Amino acid sequence: VGRRVELSVDAPDDAAARLIVERLATELFANPLIESYAVEPLAGATAVGSGNAA
Amino acid sequence: MKVGVVVFPGSNCDRDALYAATLVGAESFPVWHESSDLRGADLVILPGGFAYGDYLRAGALARFSPVMGAVREHAARGGLLLGICNGFQVLAEAGLVPGALLRNASLRFEHRWVSLSVERTDTPFTRAIPAGTKLRMPIAHGEGNYFLPDADLDALEARHGVLFRYTTPEGNPNGSARDIAGVLDARGTTCGLMPHPERAAEAILGSDDGLLLFRSLVESAAASTGREPVVVGA
Repeated sequence: VGRRVELSVDAPDDAAARLIVERLATELFANPLIESYAVEPLAGATAVGSGNAA
Repeated sequence: MKVGVVVFPGSNCDRDALYAATLVGAESFPVWHESSDLRGADLVILPGGFAYGDYLRAGALARFSPVMGAVREHAARGGLLLGICNGFQVLAEAGLVPGALLRNASLRFEHRWVSLSVERTDTPFTRAIPAGTKLRMPIAHGEGNYFLPDADLDALEARHGVLFRYTTPEGNPNGSARDIAGVLDARGTTCGLMPHPERAAEAILGSDDGLLLFRSLVESAAASTGREPVVVGA
C-alpha cells in the first residue's frame, strides 16, 4: 500500500533535515521489511524556516 | 503467576486477556502504555485491538510507547511475552519477533473460527498441550497475512520458530506464508499469534482451547520460580 507523507522539519540546513527525515522513514513511516521509500525535498521547502536562534 | 496486560489507546482485548488469566489461577493486572513499571509480571501480554488507531501501519506507533522499553527489557531477561493479534503486529514492528503482517489476501477484515496445528509442545506457550492437538480459536483481523522473505522463512523453520499453523478444515484465512499463525523469537520466550486464545477461554464462547496456552504459561512460570502451579479444573 503506497502513501505519501509531506512534513516540515526544523533543521539548520538541508543535510540535517534529510538526516531527520531518513530516520523517520526507516523507523516509522516505512517498515523496511515490506516497504521501500524515497525522500524528496519539496519545491521552496528550504525557504521555510522557523528562524529560531539557538 | 503474575500477568501484566499492556493497555494501549485502542486496545480492545485487554479485559478478555485479564479475565482468561484469572481462569488458570493467575493474578492479572493492566499496565498502562505510559507506565514503564511491569509490576513484577512473569508474563506480559500485548493484547488485541487497534493500538493508536493503526492508521500508519498496524502496530507501528505502539512500539514507541513508554511501556515498550520495559517490555523489551523483560523480553531480554527471558521473561515471557505474548502478543495476540494487534499485539503480534506490535511485536513484529518492534522487531521482537520476526516477520511482518500484511493485509489479508482477501483485502477484507476476516473474523471467523480457525483450526491451528501446534508445531511444538516443548515451549512455555504450549507445554500443557498434548501432542497432535488441534486448537480451535477465533481470528478477527484485517492484517494477519504473515510475511517473511523465503530465505528468512527457511531460517525460521530451521530453528523451529513456527509455533502455530492454520490447518484443516477451515485452512488458511488470510494468505499467510506457509500457513503461519504464530511464531517464536529466537530465544523461545516471546510468542506472537494472530488467533485469539483469550476469546476461546470458556466452552460457552465456543471453545476453551485457548486456556491450554494460559495453562502452559502458568506451568512455565511455576517451573521457573520453583513454585507449584495452581491447578484449576476445566
